Amino acid sequence: MPRHTVSRKPLPLRRVLACIALSLIAALLLVWWPPAHAEDTDAGVPESPYFHVRSDDPGVDALPLKATQVDVRIAGVIAAVTVTQHYRNEGQRPIEARYIFPGSTRSAVHALTVRIGQRQIVAQIREKQRARLEYDSAKREGKTAALLEQERPNVFSMNVANILPGDEVRVELQYSELIAPHDGRYRFVFPTVVGPRYRSPAASKANGPLSATAHLQPGVASNVAFDMTVRLDAPLPVRDVHCDTHKLESLGLGTSHVQLALADDGPRDNRDFILEYGLAGERTAGGLMLYQAPPGADAENFFLALVEPPAAVAPVQINPRDYIFVVDISGSMHGYPLDTAKVLLRQLIGGLRPSDSFNVVLFSGSSRVLSEQSVPATQANIERALRTIDRAGGGGSTEIVPALRRVAALPKPADVARTVVVVTDGYVAVENEVFQLVRRNLDQFNLFAFGIGGAVNRHLIEGLARAGQGEAFIVTKPEHAAEQAQRLRRLIDSPVLTQLKARFTGLEVYDVEPAALPDVMAGRPVTLWGKWRGDPRGARLILQGHGAEGSYTDVIDAPQPDPDAVALKFLWARQRVAQLGDDEALMGGQTQRGPITALGLKYGLLTSYTSFVAVDQVVRTQHEATPVNQPLPLPQGVSALAVGAIDGPSISVVVPSTPEPRWPLALALTLLLVAVALWHARQTADTR
Amino acid sequence: MSQALTLECRPVRLRAPHWLALHALALWPHGVYVAQRAVDGSDDPLGVVALIATLALVASLHARLRLSPQLPWLAAAAVLALLANGAWWAGVPALASALVAAASLACALLAWWPRERARAPLLGLVLLTLPWLATLQFYLGWPLRVLTAQLSAWGLQLAGFAAERSGASMVVAGRLVIVDAPCSGVQMAWFAYFTACVGAAASGVSDRDFIRRAPRVGLVVLAANVVRNSVLVALESRPAALAPPWHEAIGLVALGAVCATVWLLMRRTRGRDA
Repeated sequence: MPRHTVSRKPLPLRRVLACIALSLIAALLLVWWPPAHAEDTDAGVPESPYFHVRSDDPGVDALPLKATQVDVRIAGVIAAVTVTQHYRNEGQRPIEARYIFPGSTRSAVHALTVRIGQRQIVAQIREKQRARLEYDSAKREGKTAALLEQERPNVFSMNVANILPGDEVRVELQYSELIAPHDGRYRFVFPTVVGPRYRSPAASKANGPLSATAHLQPGVASNVAFDMTVRLDAPLPVRDVHCDTHKLESLGLGTSHVQLALADDGPRDNRDFILEYGLAGERTAGGLMLYQAPPGADAENFFLALVEPPAAVAPVQINPRDYIFVVDISGSMHGYPLDTAKVLLRQLIGGLRPSDSFNVVLFSGSSRVLSEQSVPATQANIERALRTIDRAGGGGSTEIVPALRRVAALPKPADVARTVVVVTDGYVAVENEVFQLVRRNLDQFNLFAFGIGGAVNRHLIEGLARAGQGEAFIVTKPEHAAEQAQRLRRLIDSPVLTQLKARFTGLEVYDVEPAALPDVMAGRPVTLWGKWRGDPRGARLILQGHGAEGSYTDVIDAPQPDPDAVALKFLWARQRVAQLGDDEALMGGQTQRGPITALGLKYGLLTSYTSFVAVDQVVRTQHEATPVNQPLPLPQGVSALAVGAIDGPSISVVVPSTPEPRWPLALALTLLLVAVALWHARQTADTR
Repeated sequence: MSQALTLECRPVRLRAPHWLALHALALWPHGVYVAQRAVDGSDDPLGVVALIATLALVASLHARLRLSPQLPWLAAAAVLALLANGAWWAGVPALASALVAAASLACALLAWWPRERARAPLLGLVLLTLPWLATLQFYLGWPLRVLTAQLSAWGLQLAGFAAERSGASMVVAGRLVIVDAPCSGVQMAWFAYFTACVGAAASGVSDRDFIRRAPRVGLVVLAANVVRNSVLVALESRPAALAPPWHEAIGLVALGAVCATVWLLMRRTRGRDA
């Protein structure tokens, strides 16, 4: 090629050299800064529920909890529960097992014991931060240690550090619980699994931290062998033992001593265990119980009064009411729970009287109302509401607080009483904020909460009802919906026992809980706790109030003190802690930290500010333990949507956003415009 | 002696398409990476469009390509090709080494590029063949969303709405609206710069003017995205949810306005670009 064809201009060598130099520097920088690789050790602590991913490291046992054994003994109205968790490390490296598990909302956890081989360590109650320090210190030193913390009144976390390869560690915790009869029936509930809770990004810190839970994929069974035995010791023969959730084998039915054991072949730990039973005769067990402590300087005696209310009477005239149905259609409600909720709502809304008015609020990430103000319960409006509910498919997050705020802002006629009915599985972590909101709006409505599903968040459901001066209902199956809807109507329509007052004669009582007795709904017993001094012989409890048929009085003679009823001490303290917790939720912050801590330490009780810690004194390893989060099964009927997975389109109320158009449309438009512009430019050039 | 001379001259005797094809072949790992990203769903396959536009532009100027390449550009292309492949084997992030490879290919093209044609639009188009969107969303998405949400909030406040920004979300009349990743305007920016490159190449804007006007394209995109976002947020704040077709329609109107503005911006100004 002749050289004269090449440009004769001086070569821009300087520019080329600069360009090459810059490129070299850029390349060197890229090589110098190695690309980032994700490693588990670098990962931050997750904040939301997530699916467990099985590690490919054969040296680490990722599923250290092998079995859970629950032994329940119900004597009268008090259940003593022992939960034994068996941990075994089948890997080759020491591990720290972490397990989030549920408890009853009313449980008073008062003891923890750890067994390593033949050694037994009794855990001590400590202020929460101190317990954590002791545990961390023992973990660093290579000692086996266990830490039991309360994250919510019904959610606990167990940490067991330095489980060496081949170790068998048994952790045993004990709690007591009051089994109060409702409508003459006793109900014992043992939750087996924590559902995946939605954490609102806008949630305030008032709710306290809640650990993220690792979950197994839907359909994956838990590796944990779960077994349970129940022994009922009642003053009268036990009848109508009923368990809808699990298959049972029984012994001694019809007598006053009944033994029950699980007989399910399939998964047992993916739903609440709910046992119902009644006693022969018309009255329930209960009345007045006294516990007398052994003599001593700090001896305290406790009492529990559990009084059945009078039978409900249907009123002559029923005033019209305004109902707001607040329905959770978030991801965790997708499928079976939402189907159950729809059946329930058909029952509730379909049973409204024409004189009533109602509205429906559907919420997930955002909320949507049926109408800007309540509409009369005409057939057309009811059908419209049911169609709206039927279209809801379940998806998105669970922003319950904005939804309740919206309910509070809905206009209400001054002369009509409003009832808010919340239908949810309660899989949120903003309980305190919700309770605060409901309490602040008590002048506008009272609230009834329906928990839907096999393993609902009872802390939220029961707390909502308590804060809203209503009742909590749990619906585990669609076929129970009609019965529960009927129960709600009965509660709302039937008159209650009001202006109730309790006084003792012949006995000095103090520290009585609750300080003022609430109005009594039909079927719910009057429960009173406290301490006593003096001689109980000849003492009486007198209850006075107003019922549907005029004034009401009940007199109960004090029995002989029962030296074995030590559980009354824990249950009284638990009741006081719950009351302080409610106050704290209303005021915000940690205003009751001091009193709750003092109660926890004095009575050896697990609370939000006190934890159990057990430390082995033997240094057993020099290697750092690998943390392992024991995964939980998804609760029965809960889909992967609850953890954020997307398994198909659904119509739901999600938080709206403002996405750009889809790229094929945008591309088509851009190419069209460019083509037109090019054509126009060519036309213009041709014209010139 | 004569054989040595023939060898020395062989590179310049190759015609541009062959040379470029061989150069592209030398960069095959990066090509495979870009192709994989285009089809595996990890990014929108818009790079294919930029590639077609680049090829169309080269084909349209085929007759005017230099007969022999400019050696400095060719040298830069060779060095960058070595760097790109070295970076690839050294484990440098694939997009970073693909960027060097794209720059190398652009240099190879520019070696044959007609003297009177601007080089920057071609370089822009070659760079747009890379799978940028997901990466830009990751690194630039958040600040862009926050900026868009803040400007939208101010705009809506001026229009009488009770609008507030909270992170990259907005609360308008008590209703939460998220300005999430697909709202950041990154996709709109891609289309805007694509239009700018094609427009500049078609109108013959000089390199200097193209580079000077390129930042204005970014401002046009930002403004249009704020307007689009504000309109959608205002409509979403009503009790009834906005149907998806409305989102598409409003987004397309905004994009059309951006493309038209950018095209006008990249027109050759008589006298100055001549």
